[in-house]
Amino acid sequence: MSAWTMGARGVDKRGSFFKLIDTIASEIGELKQEMVRTDVSLENGLEPAETHSMVRHKDDGYPEEKDVKTYARDSGYDSLSNRLSILDRLLHTHPIWLQLSLSEEEAANVLQSQPPGIFLVHKSTKMQKKVLSLCVPCEFGTPLKEFAIMESTYTFSLEGSGISFADLFRLIAFYCISRDVLPFTLKLPYAISAAKTEAQLEELAQLGLNFWSSPADNHPPNPPPLHRPLSCAGVCPASLRQLCLINGVHSIKTRTPSELECSQTNGALCFINPLFLKVHSQDLSGGLKRPSTRTPNANGTERPRSPPPRPPPPAINSPHTSPGLSGTETQTSMPETVNHNKHGNVAVPGTKPTPIPPPRLKKQASFLEAEGSAKTLTGGRPSPGGEREPRAGGGAGGAPPGQAAAAAAGCTRAPPAGSESRPPGHGGRQRLSDMSISTSSSDSLEFDRSMPLFGYEGDTNSSLEDYEGESDQETVAPPIKSKKKRNSSFVLPKLVKSQLQKMSGVFSSFMTPEKRMVRRIAELSRDKCTYFGCLVQDYVSFLQENKDCHVSSTDLLQTIRQFMTQVKNYLSQSSELDPPIESLIPEDQIDVVLEKAMHKCILKPLKGHVEAMLKDFHVADGSWKQLKENLQLVRQRNPQELGVFAPTPDIVDVEKIKVKFMTMQKMYSPEKKVMLLLRVCKLIYTVMENNSGRMYGADDFLPVLTYVIAQCDMLELDTEIEYMMELLDPSLLHGEGGYYLTSAYGALSLIKNFQEEQAARLLSSETRDTLRQWHKRRTTNRSIPSVDDFQNYLRVAFQEVNSGCTGKTLLVRPYVTTEDVCQLCAEKFKVGDPEEYSLFLFVDETWQQLAEDTYPQKIKAELHSRPQPHIFHFVYKRIKNDPYGIVFQNEEEDLTPS
Amino acid sequence: RYTFSDTGVGKSSIVCRFVQDHFDHNISPTIGASFMTKTVPCGNELHKFLIWDTAGQERFHSLAPMYYRGSAAAVIVYDITKQDSFHTLKKWVKELKEHGPENIVMAIAGNKCDLSDIREVPLKDAKEYAESIGAIVVETSAKNAINIEELFQGISRRIPPLDPHENGNNGAIKLGKASTPSSRRCC
Repeated sequence: MSAWTMGARGVDKRGSFFKLIDTIASEIGELKQEMVRTDVSLENGLEPAETHSMVRHKDDGYPEEKDVKTYARDSGYDSLSNRLSILDRLLHTHPIWLQLSLSEEEAANVLQSQPPGIFLVHKSTKMQKKVLSLCVPCEFGTPLKEFAIMESTYTFSLEGSGISFADLFRLIAFYCISRDVLPFTLKLPYAISAAKTEAQLEELAQLGLNFWSSPADNHPPNPPPLHRPLSCAGVCPASLRQLCLINGVHSIKTRTPSELECSQTNGALCFINPLFLKVHSQDLSGGLKRPSTRTPNANGTERPRSPPPRPPPPAINSPHTSPGLSGTETQTSMPETVNHNKHGNVAVPGTKPTPIPPPRLKKQASFLEAEGSAKTLTGGRPSPGGEREPRAGGGAGGAPPGQAAAAAAGCTRAPPAGSESRPPGHGGRQRLSDMSISTSSSDSLEFDRSMPLFGYEGDTNSSLEDYEGESDQETVAPPIKSKKKRNSSFVLPKLVKSQLQKMSGVFSSFMTPEKRMVRRIAELSRDKCTYFGCLVQDYVSFLQENKDCHVSSTDLLQTIRQFMTQVKNYLSQSSELDPPIESLIPEDQIDVVLEKAMHKCILKPLKGHVEAMLKDFHVADGSWKQLKENLQLVRQRNPQELGVFAPTPDIVDVEKIKVKFMTMQKMYSPEKKVMLLLRVCKLIYTVMENNSGRMYGADDFLPVLTYVIAQCDMLELDTEIEYMMELLDPSLLHGEGGYYLTSAYGALSLIKNFQEEQAARLLSSETRDTLRQWHKRRTTNRSIPSVDDFQNYLRVAFQEVNSGCTGKTLLVRPYVTTEDVCQLCAEKFKVGDPEEYSLFLFVDETWQQLAEDTYPQKIKAELHSRPQPHIFHFVYKRIKNDPYGIVFQNEEEDLTPS
Repeated sequence: RYTFSDTGVGKSSIVCRFVQDHFDHNISPTIGASFMTKTVPCGNELHKFLIWDTAGQERFHSLAPMYYRGSAAAVIVYDITKQDSFHTLKKWVKELKEHGPENIVMAIAGNKCDLSDIREVPLKDAKEYAESIGAIVVETSAKNAINIEELFQGISRRIPPLDPHENGNNGAIKLGKASTPSSRRCC
């Protein structure tokens, strides 16, 4: 996969990547030197905030409690709880700005009355792409400019920009800070940028699209006048808090200009480097500040974003400077903004020769990511989050668990807690210690590197091991990565060490969104409060508890496959995934990611059960024994008797192959199993070709494969192959995996039928039929099921002679009888005389009235499992006066026995 | 996807020749010669051939359906120097007609046309037969790289332009899937 990553980025870009990485390295060097300065400046930066709040406190003589609160929030500890990062704000409010279903016109309508900088993301029907629509000032001629969002396999970027992002949120967050290819930076609506708690954001988000027309979207009255913070401090408690914030920002902003310059000369690495986030944030606040409203979040943004180290900024210095400066800045409203932009413009051309932005970006992205994932874990759903992180730390190949945990904990929770009690100066120290922590966990590099190298051409077991441990490691990965980033920024020699490492670092940032998504879905699947979670959990336990509800191994696997496809489909349409998957995963990757998630939340818990069931079935139908006997027979034959005329693997190679097959057995994901099968085949080819340079086609390969499988003497392979063939994502069946899977299946059938073949020189026609049926099944499976195919849903049409048909999807559990369904229908369709109505099945052009004691869900399941797809409808209608056909009272008997 | 069925000698060589000619970046490496892929431009579209090779020996005959299932095209190869191989080819055609996917594009390749001095199958016979079954026919030489490209171009043109699940992500890329069960009766 990682190999693909490289490919995806384009071969020609590889060189520039190295360049970029070198640039980063050198810039980090420079920054390191500046660090001292930075720290000082940081201290300066924050001080004023504190001072202000204190001053205010005194001046107002405000009721203690409230003031204390305010004070506590702001006092040197960054009021962490207050400071939501831009990313947080974006994540919480995506129902407002992320409007994929909106048309161009609708988007234009929404934005029409908005001030410049306000934006929406929607999907353009013209371009068939996601588009960023941005309000621009009238000088631009149009009220709106559109920027297409490009999606590559792993990234999102704006058209024309060399900077790409792991997901949409990071992209938008970045453009809130840096304009890059935009005429100016994006601006969050006032209400969003002014919100101080997640709850407030959630409240706004509830409005969804209505936000734009609601009073909540009141534009910033006027850029808050310079003095307002101080003067109106006493006015009301609410505004007070906000004011403090603004103050904090101002003070920080003081630094902005200098930071900007720094970024120009230095390539603004400060963006990326976690250590300099403070610096960065100042820079940011400068950038953000321009639209005066945004101020608060500008500041907030960076603070929480920088994960663990970020406790309180030490306040040491000159209370004077900042207030003065901040004053100036405050007045900065639109006009000033323009100025700033001009600055920006000047800078940009200089920096433009692209190499620099991407690394910055990448780093930032992965960095954000780390933070994001931490947030997901801790903030997302209460239960799994907390325990997860520490465990993650423990597994982090080499990272001392305690430290990892500490670092992780530091991400979100620790700072606010500690902030209350500790004196300002302390923060600085804590940060230092954090840094040293991250430095020490350098071993994790090894792990990271192995990921990108994974691919079957690297025929090693090491990457396999990653896979085996995958389930746990997935949880671990993001923290490690973030740590590594921190790490690399700090320990120069390490970073310079090898380009490969650096490369992998860059790429690993692409790997994570997918994993993050998979993990999130897996979490969701365990959360029974969600529909999705219920569906999955119920299904899993249903399967485990009801061993005899499937008639054959194929039946079992097939229902599982179908269930996965359905759930995938549900997930891609439902709103239960928050944020929507489209915002995190490029469109062409969504299915792949969902498929992985399905494996994780459905196949993983079921693996043991399914294996046992498969074996039971095979034992019961005699095929186990048949295979066993024939396997022995085949093993006694020499290769030539099996049609082998190419070199065959020796004992050592066969052992190697066996090991691979055994590893395969441990996997729950059919894709990974297939990957291993491919490795086995690759090894067989290597042996066959034996440096002869000759290419062997199927005529030679299939016999050798048969021979090898016989030599391995593993009866379990039969169930393995079956598992893969039935559960593999249908889209993969045509590729290389599908081909060799087919070949392996063929080889096994040859072995199974060896005796018969000896006798008849022909496989039983039965096998051929099975194969044909298999194909039909797998191809029909492709048609995407709609929601009403779901296990617990039944789509029922209601037919009235006069008014035609209406349909409803009802919740009908498997063992609900027709009688009950009728009752339900009577209710739902508001039928006054239910005794006149009944449930009918319309299939194959005929009507069948269902008897009261039948189970509609079972009937549906039976119809679904027929080899030929049938079009059928459940219809609730009058028993008499049936204009369409004859009622077959007893037909259902034929249907139910499945 | 395409199916490639061949009796007679040289099916693998044809595939190898096809895939390996023009060393360009269109080739994605596969682990072995039984399954190969190649992307070929056709008009405004790119067709990706997924070529499934089928073991041609009689004993594997029963497995063939697994290989030609879902194929868009089948290439059936015979050896112009062996009359027998032409008969076997007819059997394959019959099988494909009866059990193969509907609308499968069939292409007949008379390989080894570099050895036309010892030819046993006249080109005329092949042409008449191909016409009767509506197949493409081409005489090829894998050895001398004659008509290989033409063979696949011909198939490319015949593949129906729209096939929903074969449509690549971005309109431009169309994956004409090629599975090539080339079943060959072995020596």
